[in-house]
Amino acid sequence: MAYVATRGGERAIKQSERLFRAAMGKIDAARVTEVKQALPYLVDRVMGEASLYDLDLAALALAQTGGELYEAVLLLRAWRTTQPRLCVAEPVQQQDLFTHRRISAAFKDIPGGQVLGPTPDYAHRILATDVLEGTPFVPEPVEPGAKPSPAYQPSVSAWQAKNDLVDLPKPESLHGNDIPDLTREPLLFPSKRAHTLQSLARAETGGVLALGYAAMRGYGQAHPTVNELRLAEAEVVVKHPNGTAFSAGRVKISQAEVVSKQGEKLGLGFAATMGWNEVKCISAATLDLNSKGAPKGTPTEEEFFLYHTEGVESSGFCIHFKLPHYVTFQSSLDAMRDAKAKSVDVAKEPVK
Amino acid sequence: MSMVIDAPRIVTTKPLLVVRGVSKTYGKVVALHDVAVTAYPGEVLGIVGESGSGKSTLLRMMNLEETPEFGSYTLDLPDLRGNLFNLDRFARRMLCATRIGIVYQNPHLGLLMTHSSSGNVAERLLIAGERSFATLRAKATDALDASEFPLDRLDAPPIELSGGMQQRVQLAKAIALEPALLLLDEPTTGLDVSVQALVLDTLKRLQQGRQITMVVVSHDLGVIRTLADRVMVMRSGRVVEEGLVDQIFQDPQHAYTQQLVHAKL
Amino acid sequence: MSLKSLTKPWQSMSYGFLDPSAKRELRRKMLKSVAVPGCQMPYASREVPMARGWGTGALQVSLTLLNPQMCVKVIDQGADDSVNAASIRRFLARVSGAPTTLDTLEAHLIQSRHRIPEEFLREDQILVLQVPNPEPLRSVQPNMSIARQMHADADYGRMWLQLYEQIVRSGRIMQGASYPSMVNGRHVMTPSPIPRWDVPKLNMSKHLTILSAGREKRIFAVPPYTRVEPLVFDDVPYQVEDHGALTCKRSGAKGFFMNEIPQDDGTSAFEVSDSEYGVKSIRQRDGEAVNLGGTWYKHGEMPK
Repeated sequence: MAYVATRGGERAIKQSERLFRAAMGKIDAARVTEVKQALPYLVDRVMGEASLYDLDLAALALAQTGGELYEAVLLLRAWRTTQPRLCVAEPVQQQDLFTHRRISAAFKDIPGGQVLGPTPDYAHRILATDVLEGTPFVPEPVEPGAKPSPAYQPSVSAWQAKNDLVDLPKPESLHGNDIPDLTREPLLFPSKRAHTLQSLARAETGGVLALGYAAMRGYGQAHPTVNELRLAEAEVVVKHPNGTAFSAGRVKISQAEVVSKQGEKLGLGFAATMGWNEVKCISAATLDLNSKGAPKGTPTEEEFFLYHTEGVESSGFCIHFKLPHYVTFQSSLDAMRDAKAKSVDVAKEPVK
Repeated sequence: MSMVIDAPRIVTTKPLLVVRGVSKTYGKVVALHDVAVTAYPGEVLGIVGESGSGKSTLLRMMNLEETPEFGSYTLDLPDLRGNLFNLDRFARRMLCATRIGIVYQNPHLGLLMTHSSSGNVAERLLIAGERSFATLRAKATDALDASEFPLDRLDAPPIELSGGMQQRVQLAKAIALEPALLLLDEPTTGLDVSVQALVLDTLKRLQQGRQITMVVVSHDLGVIRTLADRVMVMRSGRVVEEGLVDQIFQDPQHAYTQQLVHAKL
Repeated sequence: MSLKSLTKPWQSMSYGFLDPSAKRELRRKMLKSVAVPGCQMPYASREVPMARGWGTGALQVSLTLLNPQMCVKVIDQGADDSVNAASIRRFLARVSGAPTTLDTLEAHLIQSRHRIPEEFLREDQILVLQVPNPEPLRSVQPNMSIARQMHADADYGRMWLQLYEQIVRSGRIMQGASYPSMVNGRHVMTPSPIPRWDVPKLNMSKHLTILSAGREKRIFAVPPYTRVEPLVFDDVPYQVEDHGALTCKRSGAKGFFMNEIPQDDGTSAFEVSDSEYGVKSIRQRDGEAVNLGGTWYKHGEMPK
């Protein structure tokens, strides 16, 4: 007997899911490999937001969700959360990064040199429509330079600190399991430094850009100068219980450091994320730069931007409005009708 | 027969408010240095000085919004003992809500601009635990009436009111719980001269009617002369002169006070 | 002894989906929230295979509490068979092995979105409510850090003022669902967006209620036999929805919270919102032997 309009919900759910999956068709290992090879920047972005570095899983999540990014990130996060935390890797130092791209807007040249690396920054954004006409696009081969650029470089801020232009934050003396982990603890404010950086690292790219852009346009106090932007690979160095340190592999990371004049020194904003994602890092570092002393309720205040750039939470809450709300609606309706029916407004009654 | 002469009798009323040895610095700037304040029940104490003299900081301390580095603050009220600067946040909030009223120069500091005027007054009563809607309305109306606020605007939000009316709402909020102490921070600064006179009239009537102890901070000698019984002259975080209003204004001793009074005249 | 004999066989998923460290944290936070009724306890809140805002908080509580000996019921807006309830019920059964039921009386654990069943809950039952926004002060203070301090200070003046303002502007308190309520005389909580009809059911109830907000990472509880008092003025009585005299057009049940169904002729028909109670009423009317439990409301009134 059908009691509620949605009775038979079980079947409806199943069929609607089938409709969704039908659009993607069969997913096999080849599809995952294709996604991984064809869309490295998308895979990077998803890995960063999911805070899970695994190219295959990220490509699978993209294939399985048809590129619905919020769903892909949720899928990876839900998988990640059930995994045991085996150990904590050694800290990554800037000078130890295997650097592919490194630029500074603050100086014409910097110790270690500017390394342009891979970027479409100076390309003309012309759609290669010939591909659709049957002429494949074959990229021209990269010509190696006469002298290879150094693979490891010092940081720009280290030079600035030496010249008394900037105060580098004192590294917290926390090790291993003592480092606060956002995935195991709630975010509370004022937030721990580790939580802030972790939160920005896994923030949703579009959200960070929107708020970072607001700060850049003038809703923040500080105008950023890109001190140093890096796309690099970092060794994941872990310690065996017997004390031997070894590299478990390399992960792609991006980091941005922005500065602005604050009194007689430079203020520093920093962000880093897994995968190569320059827009996110610059925006996040700008928010970090602006957060100090930002008034409550403004986009550059920590609580404001950390809460509102969390992609899984914000997208989930947004789509939850599709759920039936008829009980809450009924409750408001009742109050509205009653208020309307009350011809005498108590507020207008004479005071006894 | 020898003449017996009575020893001179001294009236010994205990002061309501005693602040002693208050000092506060902001970095290298000395905001207050070893300041003492005494106010007797029913008295109006004026604090005069130019901006930066520390008078507003001192008032904020009396409202427990700020804490000095050194010094003590006592109010002679039942159930209230010890240095008020040592109260915890909760006790501070309750004391400020129930026993101390304040009117700020900037109504945005003291009012919720989009709530009703009566609600602004009622909030005080709500914090103090009043839970009858009828009583809340009656008491809010009384307080607004005492502040000579037009009762047909009872539920208008302050944002729609003139500056003078906004100050009356602040005043009603401050006196709603019949506080032991009323603090006024430049209450009429920024108002038109005619409106200023009306608000001062209200304050004067209210003070005489209810015998509230008041501390008025102003850079305006006219305000101090109208309201205060006694006056403290402050400069660079120190009290330079103190005395009865007539005495100070007629016969200023300190060079700075002389300068102030003459500038006014 | 081999390595194989020392380890469990590999499984693609932990029992009850969550890993033991997550469950341990949840157990601790649940105990804390029971110890300080109505006080919001922050917790890590793991991602689960469901979107945030769809009951992930209550889901984590259910996943932690459930075992194959417990019978679980899931409702959404009063209905067992709404799309989301069906989906959650299927997931809970799949990962915990717990049997499912639609009957309130048979359930040991009830996960619910925005309703409390009409039949009494007992000491051996747990109600887990889904909470979209755990902060009753959000409308007067959107900043969570400040709101947290206000709870610590029991600084609820603004909350009361909001109710005052509603009466001044509209002649009555306009709060629909999520009616702010004082728990154990100390903490103001949101009872989650249950209708006002359901709030009195929480007062001095026999069952344990756990409220969990996954997206906002807060958990709070109403232990058995705890006072839950909606914030009201002494002289303005608490008003539940005006449903006491309505009759369900399907089951004939009268005096319960109803869903309003707009009709083609411009009128409204009503159906009992607690769907399983409606189903049981229909069965009883049709002569089946049905175990219809006692209800909180009698003849549309909540006995004092």
